[in-house]
Amino acid sequence: MNKVTSLTDAVASISSGAHVALSGFAITRCAMAFAREVIRQGLTGLTISQCVGAMDADLLVGAGAVKRLIYGGGSLDRFGRLSSVNRGIEDGSLIAEEYSSLSVAFRYLAGSLGLPFLPIRSLRGSDLLSQIQERTPGDVALISDPFTGDSWLALKPLCPDVSVVQVQIADEDGNAWILGPKWDNAEQVRASQRTIVITEKIVSSEVIRQNPERTAIPGLLVSHVVELPFAAHPTSVYREYDYDAEQIGCYVEATRTPESLQQFLIETVFSVKDHWEYLEKMGGMRRLNSLRADPILGY
Amino acid sequence: MDFEYTPSELMAVAGARELHDRQIVAVGLGLPVVASFLAKQTHAPNMTILFELGVVDPEPIHPGVGLADPRVWYRAKQLSSFVDILGTILHKGLVDVGFLGGLETDQYGNLNTTLVGDPHGKFRHMIGSGGANDIASCARSTIIIMRHEARKLKQAISFVTSPGYITGGDSRMQAGLHGGPYRVITDKAIFGFHPETKQMMLLSIHPGNTLEDVLETMGFAPVVPEHLPFTEPPAEEQIHLIREVIDPQRMYMG
Repeated sequence: MNKVTSLTDAVASISSGAHVALSGFAITRCAMAFAREVIRQGLTGLTISQCVGAMDADLLVGAGAVKRLIYGGGSLDRFGRLSSVNRGIEDGSLIAEEYSSLSVAFRYLAGSLGLPFLPIRSLRGSDLLSQIQERTPGDVALISDPFTGDSWLALKPLCPDVSVVQVQIADEDGNAWILGPKWDNAEQVRASQRTIVITEKIVSSEVIRQNPERTAIPGLLVSHVVELPFAAHPTSVYREYDYDAEQIGCYVEATRTPESLQQFLIETVFSVKDHWEYLEKMGGMRRLNSLRADPILGY
Repeated sequence: MDFEYTPSELMAVAGARELHDRQIVAVGLGLPVVASFLAKQTHAPNMTILFELGVVDPEPIHPGVGLADPRVWYRAKQLSSFVDILGTILHKGLVDVGFLGGLETDQYGNLNTTLVGDPHGKFRHMIGSGGANDIASCARSTIIIMRHEARKLKQAISFVTSPGYITGGDSRMQAGLHGGPYRVITDKAIFGFHPETKQMMLLSIHPGNTLEDVLETMGFAPVVPEHLPFTEPPAEEQIHLIREVIDPQRMYMG
Protein backbone atom coordinates (compact mmCIF):
# COMPACT_ATOMS: atom_id res chain seq x y z
CA MET A 1 0.00 0.00 0.00
CA ASN A 2 1.34 3.41 -0.92
CA LYS A 3 1.02 5.68 2.12
CA VAL A 4 2.42 8.79 0.46
CA THR A 5 -0.53 11.05 -0.34
CA SER A 6 -1.46 14.66 -0.83
CA LEU A 7 -2.58 16.70 2.17
CA THR A 8 -6.03 16.84 0.55
CA ASP A 9 -6.34 13.05 0.55
CA ALA A 10 -4.96 12.67 4.07
CA VAL A 11 -7.52 15.15 5.42
CA ALA A 12 -10.27 13.49 3.37
CA SER A 13 -9.60 10.26 5.28
CA ILE A 14 -10.96 11.94 8.43
CA SER A 15 -14.69 12.32 9.03
CA SER A 16 -16.48 15.15 10.74
CA GLY A 17 -16.91 14.33 14.43
CA ALA A 18 -13.66 12.33 14.65
CA HIS A 19 -11.25 12.58 17.59
CA VAL A 20 -7.99 14.01 16.26
CA ALA A 21 -4.83 14.37 18.38
CA LEU A 22 -2.51 17.18 17.23
CA SER A 23 1.26 17.35 17.66
CA GLY A 24 1.68 21.06 18.45
CA PHE A 25 2.99 22.60 21.67
CA ALA A 26 2.17 26.33 21.95
CA ILE A 27 4.03 27.69 18.90
CA THR A 28 6.18 24.79 17.87
CA ARG A 29 5.69 21.77 15.57
CA CYS A 30 2.00 22.61 15.13
CA ALA A 31 0.02 20.83 12.41
CA MET A 32 -0.80 24.15 10.74
CA ALA A 33 -1.05 23.17 7.07
CA PHE A 34 -3.24 20.27 8.20
CA ALA A 35 -5.49 22.60 10.22
CA ARG A 36 -5.85 24.97 7.25
CA GLU A 37 -6.83 22.06 4.96
CA VAL A 38 -9.36 20.77 7.53
CA ILE A 39 -10.95 24.22 7.50
CA ARG A 40 -10.92 24.33 3.69
CA GLN A 41 -12.63 20.93 3.50
CA GLY A 42 -15.22 22.06 6.04
CA LEU A 43 -14.90 19.32 8.66
CA THR A 44 -16.95 20.04 11.78
CA GLY A 45 -17.72 18.63 15.20
CA LEU A 46 -14.16 17.41 15.79
CA THR A 47 -12.78 16.42 19.15
CA ILE A 48 -9.22 17.71 19.44
CA SER A 49 -6.77 16.55 22.08
CA GLN A 50 -3.20 17.48 23.01
CA CYS A 51 -1.36 17.85 26.33
CA VAL A 52 -0.72 21.57 25.91
CA GLY A 53 -3.06 23.60 23.73
CA ALA A 54 -1.31 25.05 20.69
CA MET A 55 -1.85 27.25 17.65
CA ASP A 56 -3.11 24.33 15.49
CA ALA A 57 -5.99 23.66 17.91
CA ASP A 58 -6.73 27.37 18.36
CA LEU A 59 -7.03 27.96 14.60
CA LEU A 60 -9.40 24.99 14.23
CA VAL A 61 -11.52 26.17 17.15
CA GLY A 62 -11.63 29.70 15.74
CA ALA A 63 -12.81 28.35 12.39
CA GLY A 64 -15.67 26.46 14.05
CA ALA A 65 -14.36 22.97 13.26
CA VAL A 66 -14.15 21.81 16.87
CA LYS A 67 -16.88 20.70 19.24
CA ARG A 68 -14.74 19.42 22.10
CA LEU A 69 -11.18 20.08 23.28
CA ILE A 70 -9.36 17.77 25.69
CA TYR A 71 -6.20 19.52 26.84
CA GLY A 72 -4.01 20.59 29.73
CA GLY A 73 -4.23 24.34 29.22
CA GLY A 74 -2.06 26.29 26.80
CA SER A 75 -0.95 29.57 25.26
CA LEU A 76 1.01 31.05 22.38
CA ASP A 77 3.90 31.73 24.78
CA ARG A 78 4.73 35.46 24.93
CA PHE A 79 2.62 36.12 21.83
CA GLY A 80 -0.58 35.70 23.81
CA ARG A 81 -3.31 33.35 24.89
CA LEU A 82 -5.31 30.83 22.88
CA SER A 83 -7.94 33.48 22.17
CA SER A 84 -10.26 31.32 20.08
CA VAL A 85 -10.19 28.48 22.61
CA ASN A 86 -10.76 30.93 25.45
CA ARG A 87 -13.63 32.64 23.65
CA GLY A 88 -15.25 29.26 22.98
CA ILE A 89 -14.94 28.29 26.64
CA GLU A 90 -16.28 31.66 27.81
CA ASP A 91 -19.35 31.70 25.52
CA GLY A 92 -20.02 27.99 25.93
CA SER A 93 -19.65 27.12 22.23
CA LEU A 94 -16.64 24.87 22.96
CA ILE A 95 -16.77 21.90 25.32
CA ALA A 96 -13.43 21.99 27.11
CA GLU A 97 -12.20 19.08 29.19
CA GLU A 98 -9.34 20.66 31.05
CA TYR A 99 -6.53 18.69 32.69
CA SER A 100 -2.83 19.22 33.38
CA SER A 101 0.01 18.33 30.98
CA LEU A 102 0.90 15.09 32.75
CA SER A 103 -2.67 13.90 33.27
CA VAL A 104 -3.37 14.12 29.52
CA ALA A 105 0.01 12.44 28.87
CA PHE A 106 -0.92 9.64 31.31
CA ARG A 107 -4.30 9.18 29.59
CA TYR A 108 -2.45 8.77 26.26
CA LEU A 109 0.11 6.51 27.97
CA ALA A 110 -2.65 4.27 29.36
CA GLY A 111 -4.12 4.08 25.85
CA SER A 112 -0.72 3.38 24.30
CA LEU A 113 -0.12 0.46 26.68
CA GLY A 114 -3.61 -0.96 26.33
CA LEU A 115 -4.15 -0.51 30.08
CA PRO A 116 -7.63 0.02 31.51
CA PHE A 117 -6.52 3.04 33.59
CA LEU A 118 -3.46 4.73 35.07
CA PRO A 119 -3.23 6.18 38.59
CA ILE A 120 -1.79 9.69 39.04
CA ARG A 121 -0.83 11.98 41.90
CA SER A 122 -1.79 15.17 40.03
CA LEU A 123 -5.19 16.93 39.97
CA ARG A 124 -6.22 15.99 43.53
CA GLY A 125 -7.28 18.87 45.77
CA SER A 126 -7.75 21.14 42.73
CA ASP A 127 -10.75 22.67 40.99
CA LEU A 128 -9.51 21.00 37.80
CA LEU A 129 -10.54 17.68 39.36
CA SER A 130 -13.89 18.94 40.68
CA GLN A 131 -14.62 20.34 37.22
CA ILE A 132 -13.79 17.01 35.56
CA GLN A 133 -15.89 15.11 38.13
CA GLU A 134 -18.77 17.45 37.37
CA ARG A 135 -18.54 17.42 33.56
CA THR A 136 -17.13 14.01 32.62
CA PRO A 137 -17.36 11.88 35.77
CA GLY A 138 -16.76 8.71 33.76
CA ASP A 139 -13.16 9.71 32.93
CA VAL A 140 -11.75 9.69 36.48
CA ALA A 141 -12.24 7.55 39.59
CA LEU A 142 -10.82 7.34 43.09
CA ILE A 143 -9.46 3.85 43.68
CA SER A 144 -7.42 2.14 46.36
CA ASP A 145 -4.01 0.62 45.75
CA PRO A 146 -4.58 -3.18 45.91
CA PHE A 147 -1.21 -3.63 47.66
CA THR A 148 -1.13 -0.82 50.23
CA GLY A 149 -4.73 0.39 50.38
CA ASP A 150 -3.64 3.98 49.59
CA SER A 151 -6.12 6.12 47.72
CA TRP A 152 -5.29 7.12 44.13
CA LEU A 153 -6.92 9.00 41.29
CA ALA A 154 -7.34 6.75 38.25
CA LEU A 155 -7.47 8.20 34.73
CA LYS A 156 -9.30 6.61 31.84
CA PRO A 157 -7.24 5.99 28.67
CA LEU A 158 -7.52 8.56 25.90
CA CYS A 159 -7.58 6.89 22.48
CA PRO A 160 -7.92 9.28 19.52
CA ASP A 161 -9.18 8.07 16.14
CA VAL A 162 -6.14 9.59 14.50
CA SER A 163 -2.95 11.44 15.46
CA VAL A 164 -1.63 14.10 13.13
CA VAL A 165 2.06 14.64 13.75
CA GLN A 166 4.37 17.21 12.22
CA VAL A 167 7.90 15.78 11.91
CA GLN A 168 11.22 16.73 10.34
CA ILE A 169 11.98 13.55 8.39
CA ALA A 170 10.15 10.38 7.39
CA ASP A 171 10.41 7.66 4.78
CA GLU A 172 7.60 6.55 2.46
CA ASP A 173 6.41 3.99 4.99
CA GLY A 174 6.02 6.67 7.69
CA ASN A 175 9.03 5.76 9.82
CA ALA A 176 9.51 9.22 11.25
CA TRP A 177 12.17 11.14 13.16
CA ILE A 178 11.13 13.79 15.63
CA LEU A 179 14.16 15.91 16.47
CA GLY A 180 14.11 17.89 19.70
CA PRO A 181 11.70 17.34 22.61
CA LYS A 182 8.70 15.18 21.75
CA TRP A 183 6.34 16.32 24.57
CA ASP A 184 3.28 14.02 24.20
CA ASN A 185 3.75 12.88 20.60
CA ALA A 186 5.12 9.36 21.20
CA GLU A 187 2.31 8.35 23.57
CA GLN A 188 -0.31 10.22 21.53
CA VAL A 189 0.58 8.28 18.37
CA ARG A 190 0.59 4.93 20.18
CA ALA A 191 -2.76 5.61 21.85
CA SER A 192 -4.39 6.45 18.50
CA GLN A 193 -5.93 4.03 16.04
CA ARG A 194 -3.73 5.39 13.26
CA THR A 195 -1.38 8.27 12.50
CA ILE A 196 -0.97 10.79 9.71
CA VAL A 197 2.65 11.92 9.42
CA ILE A 198 3.27 15.34 7.92
CA THR A 199 6.95 15.58 7.14
CA GLU A 200 9.15 18.42 5.98
CA LYS A 201 10.98 15.92 3.83
CA ILE A 202 10.65 12.31 2.64
CA VAL A 203 13.95 10.42 2.62
CA SER A 204 14.85 6.92 1.53
CA SER A 205 14.48 4.11 4.06
CA GLU A 206 18.26 3.77 3.93
CA VAL A 207 18.57 7.16 5.68
CA ILE A 208 16.22 5.96 8.45
CA ARG A 209 18.05 2.64 8.78
CA GLN A 210 21.39 4.42 9.29
CA ASN A 211 20.15 6.11 12.50
CA PRO A 212 17.10 4.10 13.55
CA GLU A 213 17.43 5.26 17.18
CA ARG A 214 16.04 8.61 16.03
CA THR A 215 12.78 7.02 14.85
CA ALA A 216 10.01 8.30 17.13
CA ILE A 217 7.15 6.85 15.10
CA PRO A 218 7.44 3.43 13.46
CA GLY A 219 5.76 3.18 10.07
CA LEU A 220 3.57 0.30 11.21
CA LEU A 221 1.40 2.85 13.08
CA VAL A 222 1.10 5.22 10.12
CA SER A 223 -1.70 5.36 7.55
CA HIS A 224 -0.68 8.44 5.52
CA VAL A 225 2.59 10.24 4.82
CA VAL A 226 2.40 13.79 3.49
CA GLU A 227 5.54 15.61 2.37
CA LEU A 228 5.15 19.34 2.73
CA PRO A 229 7.87 21.90 3.48
CA PHE A 230 7.11 24.64 6.02
CA ALA A 231 3.92 22.77 6.96
CA ALA A 232 4.12 24.08 10.54
CA HIS A 233 4.40 27.73 9.45
CA PRO A 234 4.05 30.16 11.24
CA THR A 235 5.16 27.91 14.14
CA SER A 236 8.68 26.51 14.39
CA VAL A 237 10.18 23.13 13.56
CA TYR A 238 13.38 22.47 15.51
CA ARG A 239 16.45 22.26 13.25
CA GLU A 240 14.33 23.22 10.20
CA TYR A 241 12.96 26.75 10.71
CA ASP A 242 12.14 29.36 13.32
CA TYR A 243 8.67 30.60 14.18
CA ASP A 244 7.48 33.54 12.06
CA ALA A 245 6.97 36.18 14.74
CA GLU A 246 5.37 38.61 12.31
CA GLN A 247 2.71 36.13 11.17
CA ILE A 248 1.97 34.85 14.68
CA GLY A 249 1.53 38.50 15.61
CA CYS A 250 -0.96 38.92 12.75
CA TYR A 251 -2.89 35.89 13.98
CA VAL A 252 -3.00 37.21 17.56
CA GLU A 253 -4.30 40.54 16.25
CA ALA A 254 -6.89 38.75 14.12
CA THR A 255 -8.24 36.68 17.02
CA ARG A 256 -9.34 39.82 18.88
CA THR A 257 -12.85 39.58 17.39
CA PRO A 258 -14.72 36.83 15.51
CA GLU A 259 -15.05 39.24 12.56
CA SER A 260 -11.34 39.97 12.25
CA LEU A 261 -10.62 36.24 12.58
CA GLN A 262 -13.05 35.53 9.74
CA GLN A 263 -11.19 38.05 7.59
CA PHE A 264 -7.89 36.37 8.53
CA LEU A 265 -9.30 32.96 7.54
CA ILE A 266 -10.45 34.34 4.19
CA GLU A 267 -7.00 35.72 3.48
CA THR A 268 -4.84 32.83 4.68
CA VAL A 269 -7.08 29.76 4.24
CA PHE A 270 -10.10 30.18 1.96
CA SER A 271 -8.55 32.42 -0.70
CA VAL A 272 -5.54 30.12 -1.20
CA LYS A 273 -6.10 26.86 -2.99
CA ASP A 274 -3.40 24.85 -1.24
CA HIS A 275 -0.31 24.96 0.95
CA TRP A 276 1.94 26.07 -1.95
CA GLU A 277 -0.19 29.10 -2.63
CA TYR A 278 -0.24 29.82 1.11
CA LEU A 279 3.57 29.83 1.19
CA GLU A 280 3.67 32.24 -1.76
CA LYS A 281 1.24 34.50 0.03
CA MET A 282 3.43 34.45 3.15
CA GLY A 283 6.33 35.87 1.14
CA GLY A 284 7.56 32.82 -0.76
CA MET A 285 11.14 31.56 -0.72
CA ARG A 286 12.64 34.95 0.12
CA ARG A 287 10.70 35.17 3.37
CA LEU A 288 10.77 31.47 4.26
CA ASN A 289 14.50 31.21 3.68
CA SER A 290 15.06 33.92 6.28
CA LEU A 291 13.41 31.62 8.86
CA ARG A 292 15.77 28.68 8.14
CA ALA A 293 17.36 27.24 11.27
CA ASP A 294 21.05 27.48 11.97
CA PRO A 295 22.36 23.88 12.02
CA ILE A 296 24.23 24.36 15.30
CA LEU A 297 21.63 26.40 17.17
CA GLY A 298 18.63 24.48 15.81
CA TYR A 299 16.59 27.71 15.42
CA MET B 1 24.66 51.18 47.27
CA ASP B 2 25.69 52.74 43.97
CA PHE B 3 23.42 50.95 41.52
CA GLU B 4 19.70 50.78 40.89
CA TYR B 5 17.50 47.74 40.44
CA THR B 6 13.84 47.20 39.62
CA PRO B 7 11.29 45.28 41.75
CA SER B 8 11.21 42.53 39.08
CA GLU B 9 14.97 42.16 39.26
CA LEU B 10 14.82 41.87 43.03
CA MET B 11 12.14 39.16 42.66
CA ALA B 12 14.33 37.19 40.27
CA VAL B 13 17.33 37.52 42.59
CA ALA B 14 15.28 36.52 45.66
CA GLY B 15 13.99 33.52 43.70
CA ALA B 16 17.50 32.53 42.68
CA ARG B 17 18.69 32.70 46.30
CA GLU B 18 16.11 30.07 47.31
CA LEU B 19 17.66 27.56 44.91
CA HIS B 20 20.66 25.48 45.91
CA ASP B 21 23.44 23.68 44.13
CA ARG B 22 22.68 20.09 43.03
CA GLN B 23 18.93 20.56 43.34
CA ILE B 24 16.56 19.38 40.61
CA VAL B 25 14.26 22.23 39.72
CA ALA B 26 11.14 22.12 37.52
CA VAL B 27 10.64 25.55 36.04
CA GLY B 28 7.45 27.19 34.77
CA LEU B 29 7.06 30.13 32.41
CA GLY B 30 8.24 33.70 32.99
CA LEU B 31 10.22 35.01 35.97
CA PRO B 32 11.05 31.49 37.27
CA VAL B 33 13.11 31.01 34.11
CA VAL B 34 15.20 34.11 34.87
CA ALA B 35 15.61 33.20 38.55
CA SER B 36 16.69 29.63 37.72
CA PHE B 37 19.25 30.63 35.11
CA LEU B 38 20.57 33.27 37.50
CA ALA B 39 21.04 30.69 40.27
CA LYS B 40 22.71 28.32 37.83
CA GLN B 41 25.13 31.00 36.62
CA THR B 42 26.05 32.10 40.14
CA HIS B 43 25.90 29.91 43.27
CA ALA B 44 24.24 26.75 41.89
CA PRO B 45 26.25 25.59 38.86
CA ASN B 46 25.32 21.92 39.40
CA MET B 47 21.61 22.52 39.70
CA THR B 48 19.46 20.73 37.09
CA ILE B 49 16.80 22.77 35.31
CA LEU B 50 13.83 20.88 33.85
CA PHE B 51 11.21 22.16 31.40
CA GLU B 52 8.04 20.08 31.27
CA LEU B 53 7.99 19.38 27.52
CA GLY B 54 11.19 17.35 27.74
CA VAL B 55 14.19 19.63 28.28
CA VAL B 56 16.96 18.74 30.74
CA ASP B 57 19.53 21.31 31.82
CA PRO B 58 19.70 23.69 28.83
CA GLU B 59 22.26 26.48 28.49
CA PRO B 60 20.55 29.10 26.32
CA ILE B 61 22.56 31.90 24.80
CA HIS B 62 19.55 33.74 23.37
CA PRO B 63 16.38 34.62 25.32
CA GLY B 64 13.26 32.77 24.16
CA VAL B 65 9.60 33.75 24.02
CA GLY B 66 8.62 30.77 26.20
CA LEU B 67 9.13 27.05 26.72
CA ALA B 68 8.14 26.31 23.10
CA ASP B 69 11.04 28.40 21.78
CA PRO B 70 14.04 26.25 20.74
CA ARG B 71 16.24 29.09 22.04
CA VAL B 72 15.59 27.88 25.60
CA TRP B 73 16.39 24.24 24.68
CA TYR B 74 19.88 25.10 23.46
CA ARG B 75 22.70 22.84 24.72
CA ALA B 76 20.31 20.69 26.77
CA LYS B 77 21.75 17.44 28.12
CA GLN B 78 18.65 15.58 27.03
CA LEU B 79 15.57 16.34 24.97
CA SER B 80 12.73 13.96 25.86
CA SER B 81 9.03 14.14 26.75
CA PHE B 82 6.31 14.92 29.29
CA VAL B 83 6.27 11.31 30.49
CA ASP B 84 10.03 11.47 30.97
CA ILE B 85 10.23 14.84 32.76
CA LEU B 86 6.87 15.15 34.52
CA GLY B 87 6.52 11.38 34.90
CA THR B 88 9.79 9.58 35.62
CA ILE B 89 11.44 12.55 37.35
CA LEU B 90 8.65 14.71 38.84
CA HIS B 91 5.88 12.16 39.51
CA LYS B 92 8.43 9.73 40.94
CA GLY B 93 9.37 12.36 43.52
CA LEU B 94 12.82 13.45 42.36
CA VAL B 95 12.11 17.16 41.89
CA ASP B 96 13.36 19.22 44.85
CA VAL B 97 11.78 22.52 43.85
CA GLY B 98 8.93 23.41 41.54
CA PHE B 99 9.13 27.05 40.54
CA LEU B 100 5.83 28.62 39.46
CA GLY B 101 4.26 31.93 38.55
CA GLY B 102 0.54 32.58 38.64
CA LEU B 103 -2.39 34.94 38.29
CA GLU B 104 -3.71 34.62 41.83
CA THR B 105 -2.83 32.92 45.09
CA ASP B 106 -4.55 32.72 48.48
CA GLN B 107 -3.26 32.48 52.05
CA TYR B 108 -2.59 28.73 51.64
CA GLY B 109 -0.58 29.12 48.45
CA ASN B 110 -3.23 27.63 46.16
CA LEU B 111 -2.55 28.91 42.65
CA ASN B 112 -4.90 30.02 39.90
CA THR B 113 -3.81 30.19 36.27
CA THR B 114 -7.15 29.10 34.78
CA LEU B 115 -9.76 31.85 34.91
CA VAL B 116 -10.79 35.13 36.49
CA GLY B 117 -14.41 35.60 37.52
CA ASP B 118 -17.12 33.11 38.41
CA PRO B 119 -16.50 29.64 36.93
CA HIS B 120 -20.26 29.04 36.85
CA GLY B 121 -21.11 32.51 35.58
CA LYS B 122 -19.17 35.18 33.75
CA PHE B 123 -15.42 34.65 33.59
CA ARG B 124 -12.32 35.21 31.47
CA HIS B 125 -10.40 32.06 30.66
CA MET B 126 -6.63 32.43 30.79
CA ILE B 127 -3.92 29.77 30.35
CA GLY B 128 -4.88 26.78 32.49
CA SER B 129 -2.44 24.39 34.09
CA GLY B 130 0.14 23.14 31.65
CA GLY B 131 2.54 21.36 33.98
CA ALA B 132 1.77 23.69 36.91
CA ASN B 133 -0.75 21.39 38.61
CA ASP B 134 1.61 18.42 38.19
CA ILE B 135 4.53 20.39 39.63
CA ALA B 136 2.48 21.77 42.56
CA SER B 137 1.17 18.25 43.28
CA CYS B 138 4.37 16.24 42.94
CA ALA B 139 7.43 18.42 43.72
CA ARG B 140 9.00 18.15 47.19
CA SER B 141 8.47 21.89 47.57
CA THR B 142 7.27 24.78 45.43
CA ILE B 143 8.26 28.41 45.16
CA ILE B 144 5.64 30.83 43.88
CA ILE B 145 6.65 34.11 42.32
CA MET B 146 4.14 36.86 41.50
CA ARG B 147 3.39 40.58 41.70
CA HIS B 148 2.29 41.99 45.03
CA GLU B 149 -1.21 43.32 44.34
CA ALA B 150 -4.52 42.93 46.17
CA ARG B 151 -6.05 41.44 43.02
CA LYS B 152 -3.38 38.72 42.95
CA LEU B 153 -2.98 37.93 46.67
CA LYS B 154 -6.61 37.20 47.49
CA GLN B 155 -8.75 35.86 50.30
CA ALA B 156 -10.60 33.67 47.79
CA ILE B 157 -9.23 32.87 44.34
CA SER B 158 -11.50 32.20 41.35
CA PHE B 159 -10.18 28.70 40.65
CA VAL B 160 -7.64 26.35 42.23
CA THR B 161 -5.55 25.19 39.28
CA SER B 162 -2.60 24.02 41.38
CA PRO B 163 -3.05 23.06 45.01
CA GLY B 164 -1.02 24.61 47.81
CA TYR B 165 -2.07 23.76 51.36
CA ILE B 166 -5.71 23.66 50.13
CA THR B 167 -7.70 24.75 53.24
CA GLY B 168 -4.71 24.76 55.60
CA GLY B 169 -3.71 22.45 58.45
CA ASP B 170 -3.29 18.88 57.19
CA SER B 171 -5.78 19.20 54.30
CA ARG B 172 -3.02 18.77 51.72
CA MET B 173 -1.97 15.47 53.33
CA GLN B 174 -5.62 14.41 53.44
CA ALA B 175 -5.82 14.94 49.68
CA GLY B 176 -2.96 12.48 49.25
CA LEU B 177 -0.29 15.09 48.48
CA HIS B 178 3.14 15.60 50.03
CA GLY B 179 5.36 18.67 49.66
CA GLY B 180 3.63 22.00 49.24
CA PRO B 181 4.54 25.67 48.83
CA TYR B 182 7.73 26.73 50.57
CA ARG B 183 8.13 30.37 49.57
CA VAL B 184 6.04 33.08 47.93
CA ILE B 185 8.15 35.85 46.43
CA THR B 186 6.52 39.14 45.44
CA ASP B 187 7.92 42.53 44.47
CA LYS B 188 7.39 43.76 48.04
CA ALA B 189 8.16 40.81 50.31
CA ILE B 190 9.07 37.16 50.84
CA PHE B 191 6.65 34.80 52.59
CA GLY B 192 6.90 31.31 54.02
CA PHE B 193 4.11 29.22 55.57
CA HIS B 194 3.20 28.68 59.23
CA PRO B 195 4.27 25.14 60.18
CA GLU B 196 0.91 24.25 61.79
CA THR B 197 -1.85 26.32 60.19
CA LYS B 198 -0.07 26.50 56.79
CA GLN B 199 -1.07 30.16 56.48
CA MET B 200 1.22 32.46 54.56
CA MET B 201 3.74 34.08 56.87
CA LEU B 202 5.89 37.15 56.21
CA LEU B 203 9.61 36.40 56.29
CA SER B 204 11.14 39.62 54.99
CA ILE B 205 10.18 42.92 53.38
CA HIS B 206 12.07 44.28 50.39
CA PRO B 207 14.07 47.48 51.04
CA GLY B 208 12.01 50.63 50.42
CA ASN B 209 8.71 49.09 51.56
CA THR B 210 6.92 49.33 54.91
CA LEU B 211 4.89 46.66 56.69
CA GLU B 212 1.76 48.79 56.28
CA ASP B 213 2.37 49.06 52.55
CA VAL B 214 2.85 45.27 52.25
CA LEU B 215 -0.32 44.48 54.24
CA GLU B 216 -2.50 47.11 52.55
CA THR B 217 -1.79 45.75 49.10
CA MET B 218 -2.89 42.19 49.79
CA GLY B 219 -6.33 40.66 50.14
CA PHE B 220 -5.69 38.59 53.28
CA ALA B 221 -3.75 39.01 56.50
CA PRO B 222 -0.56 36.93 56.59
CA VAL B 223 1.05 35.80 59.83
CA VAL B 224 3.46 38.56 60.86
CA PRO B 225 6.37 37.48 63.06
CA GLU B 226 7.83 39.71 65.74
CA HIS B 227 11.17 40.00 64.04
CA LEU B 228 10.85 41.09 60.43
CA PRO B 229 14.08 41.80 58.53
CA PHE B 230 14.56 43.51 55.19
CA THR B 231 15.28 41.30 52.19
CA GLU B 232 18.92 41.31 51.19
CA PRO B 233 19.27 43.59 48.13
CA PRO B 234 20.65 42.13 44.88
CA ALA B 235 24.37 42.06 44.28
CA GLU B 236 25.71 44.07 41.36
CA GLU B 237 26.87 40.89 39.60
CA GLN B 238 23.37 39.40 39.75
CA ILE B 239 21.80 42.50 38.20
CA HIS B 240 24.52 42.57 35.56
CA LEU B 241 23.82 38.92 34.63
CA ILE B 242 20.07 39.50 34.37
CA ARG B 243 20.46 42.59 32.17
CA GLU B 244 23.36 41.57 29.98
CA VAL B 245 23.17 37.79 29.74
CA ILE B 246 19.87 36.24 30.81
CA ASP B 247 17.27 38.75 29.67
CA PRO B 248 18.92 41.49 27.60
CA GLN B 249 15.74 42.12 25.62
CA ARG B 250 13.77 42.47 28.87
CA MET B 251 11.23 39.87 27.80
CA TYR B 252 10.63 38.61 31.31
CA MET B 253 11.67 41.61 33.38
CA GLY B 254 9.10 43.96 31.82
